[in-house]
Amino acid sequence: MAEKLPASLEKLNTEEYLLNMGPQHPSTHGVLRIILKLDGEVIKDVVPVMGYIHRGMEKMFENRKYDQIIPFTDRTDYLSAVNNNFAYVIGVEKLLGVVVPERAEYLRVILAELNRIMSHLLWLSAYGMDVGAFTPLLYIFREREEIIAMFELITGNRLTHNAFRLGGFKYDVPKTFFEKLEKFISHFADNLDEYETLLINNVIFKSRTVGVGVITKALALSYGVSGPSLRGSDIKMDVRRDTPYSAYSKFVFEIPTGKNGDTWDRCEVRMNEMRQSLSILQQAMQGFPQGDIMAKIPKIIKPPAGEVYTAVEGPRGEVGFYIISDGTEKPYRVKMRVPSFSNLSALKDMTVGFKIADVVAIMGSLDLVIPEIDR
Amino acid sequence: MTPVEILEKIKTKFPGVASTEAFGILNMETEQNKLRPLLVFLRDELNFDFMNFMTGVDRPTENIIEVVYQLFSFTTKASIVIRVKLDRTKPEIETVSDIYRTAEWHEREAAEMFGIVFLNHPDPRILLLPENFKGQPLKKDFRHPNMTPLPEVK
Repeated sequence: MAEKLPASLEKLNTEEYLLNMGPQHPSTHGVLRIILKLDGEVIKDVVPVMGYIHRGMEKMFENRKYDQIIPFTDRTDYLSAVNNNFAYVIGVEKLLGVVVPERAEYLRVILAELNRIMSHLLWLSAYGMDVGAFTPLLYIFREREEIIAMFELITGNRLTHNAFRLGGFKYDVPKTFFEKLEKFISHFADNLDEYETLLINNVIFKSRTVGVGVITKALALSYGVSGPSLRGSDIKMDVRRDTPYSAYSKFVFEIPTGKNGDTWDRCEVRMNEMRQSLSILQQAMQGFPQGDIMAKIPKIIKPPAGEVYTAVEGPRGEVGFYIISDGTEKPYRVKMRVPSFSNLSALKDMTVGFKIADVVAIMGSLDLVIPEIDR
Repeated sequence: MTPVEILEKIKTKFPGVASTEAFGILNMETEQNKLRPLLVFLRDELNFDFMNFMTGVDRPTENIIEVVYQLFSFTTKASIVIRVKLDRTKPEIETVSDIYRTAEWHEREAAEMFGIVFLNHPDPRILLLPENFKGQPLKKDFRHPNMTPLPEVK
């Protein structure tokens, strides 16, 4: 420094220090604690501490019957309950060798895509708040409420729907559902454009996010990052396309990707994903078949001994269930592969070298749900 | 690449790995000392660049703890499961967290849940359990005073 400091300041030393963030912090969206090692405002190291709401889900699964497990899966990632159900039920159905009726498959896809939009909308509004924009929340919750009302119509619940059953659905959809869905589809695309102008393409927002929290292709793959966070790094990986499950092979949709793998790219990918989900919803609604809603499954569910890994593309990434059956009524072992777990593990490589305020922006762009990590 | 082709390539390089196929996914069993070279080979030569997860499975009747690695190839869209059987009384295995970075946290979880020791792990702290917790909860013989059996419904 060329400028001469006053004598009282010259004696000051600088040193790295630790800062504790969380477990109760508004930007962690849950009970996550992060220990930051800082040099002034610059981040030198990041150590996430978790497990505050560890409930021992995997142990509980071992002591429940197969159909009793479904409501538990809702409560891991409570923002995408349907997609968690999805990954679990197709796993057990694969073990049982059950073929689900087409009508149920279509309805599953409709619910999963609605759920994806709902989750992305909550992310968008919360992320706006993270980086200092309050207004989007007030707009976005209007559309989110519409989706929640549709879920309420079908399942009776707003967040933890417990929508799926092994083999299909318990009840068919009410007639008014499709009227509501049609109304939603008719105006949502315009709303989305508005939100994109309002937040994502805003100059202040861009200056907070472009070039921040970059993760390279190779590193993202090695960390097992999945979902929009991975696609932001220009990797066209999507479980719906790579290993199509349920009725997804029947729909035409694109996989949006980013270019640089920075925070803005991850946001943009989510916005474009909602447009694709909307297109899938349209196709599914037009081709919605008649027929049964439930396959014939035995009253007592005893899958033959074996093991299976099934994954679906949740809003945050790959949700997978590794189920080992020993031929009894209860699973021998169930392992949940949760996207937020792997996505968070890459946080250190994204944040080191950036400023402390960027931690909030980077973490928000990963769209973490903490109960899912802790399980 | 079909599963059969993948299998042939691995068999030529690593004779002695047992394999079966279930639901279109290759299941491969290997030994402790062959695991790391096998994973490096799978990642570099056969493009298995993505590890979905790794975990343990406790099998007290056979006195083993199984370690399971599920890999996926973004390039060829193939999946493979690698499994290693460890002695249940002294489960020890080399870490693979330098081959797949995601394994670092998964191994920490498996270590606290099954008591597996991952040799040369860069950060062998607990991950999810409370600091003063005793026992390995995902072992089949784990008992806790707060655990009560579910009532039987008839």
